Amino acid sequence: MRYDNPELREMLAAEYVLGTMPVRARRRFERLVAADAGLARMVGDWADRLSPLDAAAAAAPPARVWRAIESRIAREAAAPAPPTPQPAWFRALAFWRGLAVAASAATTALLLYVGLFAGRAPAPAVVAVLVGHGGEPGWVALTGPRPGEVSVSAVAPAAEAKPHAFELWGIAGAPPRPLGLLPQHSGDTLTLRAAQLPPPGGVLAVSLEPPGGSPSGAPTGPVLYQGKMIRLR
Amino acid sequence: LTSDESGAAPASGLPLQQLIRGAARGDRAAFAALYTSTSAKLFGVALRILGQREWAEEALQESFVAIWQRAGDYDPARGSAMGWLATIVRHCAIDQRRRRGARPESRTAPEEALAAMAAPGAADTGAELGALQRCLDELDEQPRRAVLLAYCYGLTRDELAVQLGVPVGTVKSWLRRSLERLQKCLEG
Repeated sequence: MRYDNPELREMLAAEYVLGTMPVRARRRFERLVAADAGLARMVGDWADRLSPLDAAAAAAPPARVWRAIESRIAREAAAPAPPTPQPAWFRALAFWRGLAVAASAATTALLLYVGLFAGRAPAPAVVAVLVGHGGEPGWVALTGPRPGEVSVSAVAPAAEAKPHAFELWGIAGAPPRPLGLLPQHSGDTLTLRAAQLPPPGGVLAVSLEPPGGSPSGAPTGPVLYQGKMIRLR
Repeated sequence: LTSDESGAAPASGLPLQQLIRGAARGDRAAFAALYTSTSAKLFGVALRILGQREWAEEALQESFVAIWQRAGDYDPARGSAMGWLATIVRHCAIDQRRRRGARPESRTAPEEALAAMAAPGAADTGAELGALQRCLDELDEQPRRAVLLAYCYGLTRDELAVQLGVPVGTVKSWLRRSLERLQKCLEG
């Protein structure tokens, strides 16, 4: 399905808010919303358009509900690393934020790793580290090998995608831009022009796609890895 | 709603957006105030979809734990705080409804619900509801029922087809056309 048709986007946002999307279509749509600010705004607008229908809905919940919420929150605070499985509908909305912490730990480790190569000149600089949902690094983007280039290398044998492909996306506010298919063997590299990448603060993301990459020019599969752009040159 | 009823905290009078921002920083008092300010309405929303208090309580609990964990994701540029909260609760309730295989038996007719909403003192959203209701009134009878049953009661397309006695394909096109017309009417 194509997600760049404005009328279709509007209708998907409306049906999402209405609640009539079949479950799988909804999961897919939620992943898109997480990475597409324009679509997220359409969803917000539809929620506001239809919310007057909630005006009559009111019923005081018993106090035990709040006590249960409070104790669950307190438990989490006491034992961080919440393994509580997020409901899927929320995981999608939450995607970008959750990995930031894991990413910083992985980044530190990789900066040390890259530091080992400092003897070579010029030393490659880390552009971004792409980590999975568990915080495990999958690819690292480094400057080079030539000036104005960035190479994205597999750093660990990533979970085998074949026959599917891992596709790299650049995200900076607008809809994700396809950057190419990623190598899956440790040490193999995809070389890009630095100008193709989002600016620092932007995000690189990796989605699972059909062989040959997304047919639509937008991510169609789950986003499995991501990393913030640290620097460009 | 007082603290005695909700069990959380007195309503703070602060805008919801600010309370959500507080919750994102880990401020539990702000989160408690958010719950106090919104739980009656959101519980009503969940109860309307699930039809059973016990299930609605569970949906409300699950929703607020998620809201606490993900408050930092709320972006005011993408819609109102109440819209964001209600979307979370509605989807959580709809998921639970599908999981439990709840049947849409003996629901209040949505027209009645609408009439109740328009009743005097039915909240400060009166003007907006008035506009939405006018636009809903412009839809044909059956498509309007489809929209209201879906939004208010969380019926799936298949359930709507059974309830309204038409094929699923018809339900789909009714919904799409109705949503298009609603958007035009509300923006016109």
